[in-house]
Amino acid sequence: MDSHHADISENQGALASPGVPAGVPSDVKPEQLTLSDPRAVLSMLEADQVVAAKRRTHFGRKNLSFGTKALLWALRVYVVAMLVIVFISVYQAVHAAR
Amino acid sequence: MNAPDKNPSQLAGYTAHPTTESAVASAAAPELIGLVTHEDVDRARDRWEVAHARVQGRTKTFGGFRLLWLLVGPGILVFLGENDAPSMLSYSADGSRYGVGFFIPFVVLTFIMGFIVQEMTVRLGAVTHRGHAELIFDRFGKFWGFFSMGDLIFGNFLTLVTEFIGVRAGLGFFGVRPAIAVGGALVIVVAAITTGRYWTWERITLSLAIFNGLFIPAAILARPDWHAVGHAMLTWMPFPGGGRYEILLLILATIGATVTPWMLFFQQSAVVDKGMQPRDINAGRFDTLLGALLASVFAIAAILATVPLFHHGINAADFQGAQFAEALEPLIGHTGAALFALGIFEAGIVAAIAISTSSAYAFGEVMQTGHSLNRPLREAWPFYLTLFGSACAAAALVLIPRFPLEFVVLTVNVIAVLAMPPALTFLLLLVNDPEVMGEHVNGFWANVAGVTVTILLIIAGLGFGLATVFPKWLGG
Repeated sequence: MDSHHADISENQGALASPGVPAGVPSDVKPEQLTLSDPRAVLSMLEADQVVAAKRRTHFGRKNLSFGTKALLWALRVYVVAMLVIVFISVYQAVHAAR
Repeated sequence: MNAPDKNPSQLAGYTAHPTTESAVASAAAPELIGLVTHEDVDRARDRWEVAHARVQGRTKTFGGFRLLWLLVGPGILVFLGENDAPSMLSYSADGSRYGVGFFIPFVVLTFIMGFIVQEMTVRLGAVTHRGHAELIFDRFGKFWGFFSMGDLIFGNFLTLVTEFIGVRAGLGFFGVRPAIAVGGALVIVVAAITTGRYWTWERITLSLAIFNGLFIPAAILARPDWHAVGHAMLTWMPFPGGGRYEILLLILATIGATVTPWMLFFQQSAVVDKGMQPRDINAGRFDTLLGALLASVFAIAAILATVPLFHHGINAADFQGAQFAEALEPLIGHTGAALFALGIFEAGIVAAIAISTSSAYAFGEVMQTGHSLNRPLREAWPFYLTLFGSACAAAALVLIPRFPLEFVVLTVNVIAVLAMPPALTFLLLLVNDPEVMGEHVNGFWANVAGVTVTILLIIAGLGFGLATVFPKWLGG
């Protein structure tokens, strides 16, 4: 584990090479971006952009206030009621046309 | 080296938070080094190109254009994808029934509404690197998540059916048999996804989407009265006459032609798959604005192309794609009619690709399986199976004799409008959530605009509902 940290620090040192903006490692070439050089790959991505990191971390559940819950329920009832109206009216329109 | 799709013992239990910290410098780097995937590699390559274009943008005269070229895509695709077969038919219905007038500026207004909404998905995707469905499940739980997914999958499937109706109708004008037209469209959908690379898929789909512009030469061949167009843009007049219920239905269908739930899910997932980061948000805004601008011009062109039907008193109330083209042929010539039919075909193909991808992204996010176009088929087969399976099922329905296609076409845009308020509410809650968005939470005016759009959609939906239940109120 420690050796990983050491390697990463070295790679971070390369980020600060003169003439290269932050986020563009001077020693990384596109052909290096392969599964065999994962450090180079990670150097181009944000911490929560890596697939494995996204699987590991999740945004927790938000505590919904009473008002928010009431709004979500009202909108749910709205959608269901309107869908029933749409289907009845379109069915009638199609039926009448025939 | 590849991370398995599910490894809960190692990869669960941490709370995410917005960060721009480099992965290689993060505390998790030692673990992540052993879990880099093919998807990460492709995304890192895309980021390398963007980072170097950003350097060139500072040092070379036209370097900024390369950066924009690399970063545009999801916004243009989502808007040109939404200029789909039923949408172009809605615009055509506006033009053929009411001529040049209210609907020209109204279409522009709907695209402004679309831009307001879609810009929020750019920020959500770039900051969280997570899709819309995943965030809804994370923050609101499975109960509300499944409701939201139900709306999406149901609406997407109906819309997908109408895209294949458009494909069939568009090519029907040229005498292509339905099975060949629909089968050919499926081949194009598959060809686009078999690249195993988001970037290639995006460029292929963009190159198809730009043919939405076929409606422009069709409109020019219809010799529009530009003075009347300018007058309509400035005054919103003349307001359509006739049955108020019919006008309300067309207004609703026109809104549904521009703002729909699949667009929210698609653009956010595409922004994530493209690997966009918070520093790319301005480019994402430009991409979204460009998409809205192009789509509104093409939509107005569809209206103008069908205005001759209005002037000649041709009743287009029940027209579908090929019938519009056939009716237009004696008025704007064979070339104009053929361009119109090709435009409907193109609109169906591009939307079929985008909408089936939207369903697959959402499915993968909810099921926590691989959900990226950067993944090879063997690593993300449920994602590709969802994408291809939904397209195949929709295509098959279109070929069933006596299937009530007109029922689906009439319903789809209206359902899109009705499903939008809950979708927009989730979007507004997420984009105002500091735990999710950090410093990129909505500002005051973005909230005013977002809430206004939501209220307008609810009013439009309620108006339609009341007019249906109490038709005498509107003289229907």
